[in-house]
Amino acid sequence: MSKPKIDTIAAVSTPAGRSAISLIRVSGPDTFKILKKLFITGGKKAFPLPYSVYFGSVIEPDTGLVADKCLVTTFPAPRSYTGEDLAEVSTHGNPLVVSRVLQLLLKHGARAAEAGEFTRRAFLNGKMDLLEVEAVSQLLSANTSSQARLALNQLDGLPSQFVARIRDRIMHHLVQLEASLNFPEDAIEAIDEHLLAREIKKILAELEIFARNARSGALVADGLKIALLGRPNSGKSSLMNYMLGRDRAIVTEIAGTTRDTLEETLMVGEYPVKIIDTAGMRQPGDRIEAIGIERTSKAADEAFALIGVFDGSQPVKAEDEIVLNRLRQSGKPVIAVLNKSDLPQQINPEIFAGLRQLSVSALKGQGLPELQKAISQIIAESGLSGYEEMILLGAQQSVALDKALTALERADRGIGNIYQDMLAIDLEEAVRELGRVNGETVDVNTLDLIFERFCIGK
Amino acid sequence: MSQKKEYAVIVIGAGHAGCEAALAAARLGAETLLITMNISTVALMPCNPSIGGPGKGHLVREIGALGGEMPRCIDETCVQMKWLNTSKGPAVRSRRAQADKYLYRQRMLQTLFATPNLTLRQGHVTGLLVESGRVKGVRLETGLVFGCEKLILTSGTYLNSRIILGRATWPGGPQNQSPAVGLSDSLTAAGVKLRRLQTATPPRILKSSVDLNLMTELPGDVDAGGFLWENRLRRYEKQISCYLTFTDERSVEAVRRNLSESPLVLENITDDGPKHCPSIDRKIIKFPDMVKHQVFVEPEGWESQELYLQGLTTGMPPAAQQDIVGSVAGLENAVILRYGYAIEYDALAPGQIRKTMESRVIEGLYTAGQLNGTSGYEEAAGQGLIAGINAVLALRKQAPYWPSRTRSYLGVLVDDLSTWEKPEPYRITPGHAEFRLTLRDDSAERRLAADGFRIGLVDQKRFSTIFEWSARIEGEITRLSALSLLPSGEARERLARLATGDLKKPASGAELLQRPGVTYNNVMDLLQQPENSRLTAVDEVYALETEIKYRGYADREAEKIVQTSFLEKVRLPLETSDHRLHALSDQARQILGSSRFDDLSQMVRKHCLTRSEIAILLSVLSEDGDRQERHEETR
Ligand SMILES: Cc1cc2nc3c(=O)[nH]c(=O)nc-3n(C[C@H](O)[C@H](O)[C@H](O)COP(=O)(O)OP(=O)(O)OC[C@H]3O[C@@H](n4cnc5c(N)ncnc54)[C@H](O)[C@@H]3O)c2cc1C
Ligand SMILES: Nc1nc2c(ncn2[C@@H]2O[C@H](COP(=O)(O)OP(=O)(O)OP(=O)(O)O)[C@@H](O)[C@H]2O)c(=O)[nH]1
Ligand SMILES: [Mg+2]
Repeated sequence: MSKPKIDTIAAVSTPAGRSAISLIRVSGPDTFKILKKLFITGGKKAFPLPYSVYFGSVIEPDTGLVADKCLVTTFPAPRSYTGEDLAEVSTHGNPLVVSRVLQLLLKHGARAAEAGEFTRRAFLNGKMDLLEVEAVSQLLSANTSSQARLALNQLDGLPSQFVARIRDRIMHHLVQLEASLNFPEDAIEAIDEHLLAREIKKILAELEIFARNARSGALVADGLKIALLGRPNSGKSSLMNYMLGRDRAIVTEIAGTTRDTLEETLMVGEYPVKIIDTAGMRQPGDRIEAIGIERTSKAADEAFALIGVFDGSQPVKAEDEIVLNRLRQSGKPVIAVLNKSDLPQQINPEIFAGLRQLSVSALKGQGLPELQKAISQIIAESGLSGYEEMILLGAQQSVALDKALTALERADRGIGNIYQDMLAIDLEEAVRELGRVNGETVDVNTLDLIFERFCIGK
Repeated sequence: MSQKKEYAVIVIGAGHAGCEAALAAARLGAETLLITMNISTVALMPCNPSIGGPGKGHLVREIGALGGEMPRCIDETCVQMKWLNTSKGPAVRSRRAQADKYLYRQRMLQTLFATPNLTLRQGHVTGLLVESGRVKGVRLETGLVFGCEKLILTSGTYLNSRIILGRATWPGGPQNQSPAVGLSDSLTAAGVKLRRLQTATPPRILKSSVDLNLMTELPGDVDAGGFLWENRLRRYEKQISCYLTFTDERSVEAVRRNLSESPLVLENITDDGPKHCPSIDRKIIKFPDMVKHQVFVEPEGWESQELYLQGLTTGMPPAAQQDIVGSVAGLENAVILRYGYAIEYDALAPGQIRKTMESRVIEGLYTAGQLNGTSGYEEAAGQGLIAGINAVLALRKQAPYWPSRTRSYLGVLVDDLSTWEKPEPYRITPGHAEFRLTLRDDSAERRLAADGFRIGLVDQKRFSTIFEWSARIEGEITRLSALSLLPSGEARERLARLATGDLKKPASGAELLQRPGVTYNNVMDLLQQPENSRLTAVDEVYALETEIKYRGYADREAEKIVQTSFLEKVRLPLETSDHRLHALSDQARQILGSSRFDDLSQMVRKHCLTRSEIAILLSVLSEDGDRQERHEETR
């Protein structure tokens, strides 16, 4: 197989738009050659020393004109993000300046990087496994600082080390099992099923925590979805606007104003929360409203928690009862909000018995701190992992993790009752799927490992 | 026997591969000539006196199901028959026979002589006749020439073979025979690439010089049955035992003090040999902390006065061998009759054989056995059978027989071999068979007898008998799935007596049987089925119980089996000009269009396609398939 030629790539690494400083990354074998042409250091330090920061100017070599004053940081291969020679050029944030510096780099030997190419190179050079790649792509698209923190968690490679260790532990037993199945007359110590059963239980417990952290990670990466449910005109859109602090949703006194679901992310404490405004629940007046109400149902099903919005200034209506039932039967964390607290209250608060309940006035802006506190409480009580433990998995990785868990659960139930040749199949599946969680599609070659570990000779 | 100069099929070498190949070809009606260097050593077992074991035993069962000879021959000539792995599960359970090496050879020779269309001749083939890439015949050392349409080469460990005994080395074949010379050059000239492999065998000792009292006796199983389906319930009342002893500190010391004379240390031999049969010197070097190595002491026949020392394989010089053997408990006074030795020989370099055993280099040439880079009698026999079958199918211009890895160990063997790239010889084990729950020892006939019948090696009568037997089992499985037990008080009491959990809702007989520890007869008792309505033959009950108890696990294999067999059916090179294939990498397209692999499943298994490339290919191929089907419908 002939290796494709590796060239040098460059791209702006900070998201588009205005910011004080922009970061341009250059990676590949010609990185420093190109920079030597374009970059004049201000100080006396030789360029490029490894892992050093230089202040200087990027110039147009033909004319000598200065494009920008900037900082250049050097990361020689292999200890760089991509595993190649890499430099970071921090320019002023002005888009015109950024584009001029980038153009110069491209003109003098770099190629514009494709989306994700830095990360891909890092992956190919063995600097990252899939878990980390996932983290980087989340980091780049993260729009809240806490999501970014979560992505950063993963970059130190801890979750993938954990998965690799678990896999090695299972592999160790699998190899012994396979050795005794394949070479019954070689003096291979018989598997101690009690010991193995205990080990499988331990591994399962550890892996289940990992899976919970991954589920938490998925929830937080998307933003914790909280759907606002209520009959028309109860004030859902007004409440959303109040929580966001700006007029996002259309508010009118006409019942049935909101026809489609609407999402916005905001921070509650340290968690990103995605508030979903929905169409009011009632007998639909037309087809569009009917579809809207269907979407309401779907949003409620997918949400992490529900907020029921009730008009406190009016007696309970049949449609409120429907909403209440839905809240009680959802099995999710629920808050009942009695809106319009600025008006005389007519609703009977007893119907909310047993639910977390509070009053607000979306119109006058009263009760938000209490609502935020209630949301923080339900998050805290939901068993969500802490940020330090959360893990991000891609869709395929989650599927692989589930499969590994299922296989191990089967082994756990089966051991002692099933033949060892079946047990081996469960363990092998677990090993293979855990490999996929880390993005490795290696063959599970137990035979080679058997010959390494055991003296086979009969 | 004939005196012709032209044959439809010529087989070179009457080892385990050659005998199966020649018998298959002749039985399928092809005029066949079997040329071998020495008629006195037909079907020789130059190493261990045993046939079977996990993987290998499976192959022998399958050879029988397809109509091959090895199982019949060993069933008749063994001195011991044994079940292995009985407690570890039906997928890895298998028989192993100790052979009477002399009787085995005699019986095989008689069979060759008794087979119509088959001519046996002694002769040393020194050259192939190849014209424009096609094989035309063979030339013998004597100058005789024979022509053929298909040639099956099974030269075993004889090509340019060299014996190594410490520093001493000379050209020679196994058991003091001559090496085959000339043929390697002829193959190379025709474009075939060769490599060197090695293997070795332990010393044989005089039975009367051994103290068996210091060893553990390992008797056979009277009721193990034979490999051949017809012999499955055969009882072996009279058997000879094997014995087990161990090396200790003295032996490690003996090996160490002689290590300077080991070919491994002298490096006068290639390092590429079977991983699973390391010599005692290699074991001591590789596992320095291990002192206790097993030594199996095995008979070589009913009347033989020789014992084989499994575990003490070595190519060290005679004095060293005496030193090492004498260090083992019970062997202190052992008299060595034949010294162990290492042998180095020419084998095919990887990548030159198809799944059909046909050469990728020379048209009309088939190769089988140790020459293809395998080790073991069973592997050789299996390949010989496939080569013989395919040579005749090709003669008849019929589609080749490509055994699928989803259906048999034979399929796994030929599939792995045609893509094997590792330096060491290939040996079959259940570890190679990803669908081993399906490829069980007990299911060989249900998987393969129909193939054997279609090919013509299983006759109508045998096929009908096997068919009735398997129909009886399938029928009872169906009945058991239909019968159900209601959770009445009385039924629950009966269950309680079996100590196998309660019953809350009705359960089928099959579901009950899936409970741990419950047997077929337990279920029939629970369902109050009269004795005379039940299966009684132990093999039938066993097959039924295994099938049902395994169901859940086997179902999980089922989906992958469908995928693999779909991919196997896409033969390469692929001829499609679908523009969407341009989405594949250049390299992938190049491989698809070449004959490096036989089919798409091999390409996938060797990681030559990314997931998305597989997806693209499959969507194109399944559309092609649909189109073809529609086309056929409208016709
Ligand atoms: C020393 C030794 C140690 C071994 N150790 C092991 C082991 O540890 N484990 C294991 O599994 N297997 C071992 N084997 C291998 C085992 O013997 C073979 O796998 C098996 O016999 C191969 O069968 P085959 O039919 O391919 O070849 P063989 O049984 O070798 O038969 C080849 C036949 O071809 C004939 N022949 C060759 N060239 C010509 C020619 N040019 N013209 C005419 N006739 C020719 C020969 O006379 C012979 O009859 C060992 C073999 C030897 C010799
Ligand atoms: N007095 C008072 N009026 C409010 C309050 N909140 C909302 N309203 C009024 O109630 C009416 C309906 O408000 P919306 O926010 O559109 O109600 P909604 O639940 O989104 O209604 P639909 O989208 O039709 O389902 C508007 O006229 C709001 O001004 C409040 O806290 N106090
Ligand atoms: Mg609204």
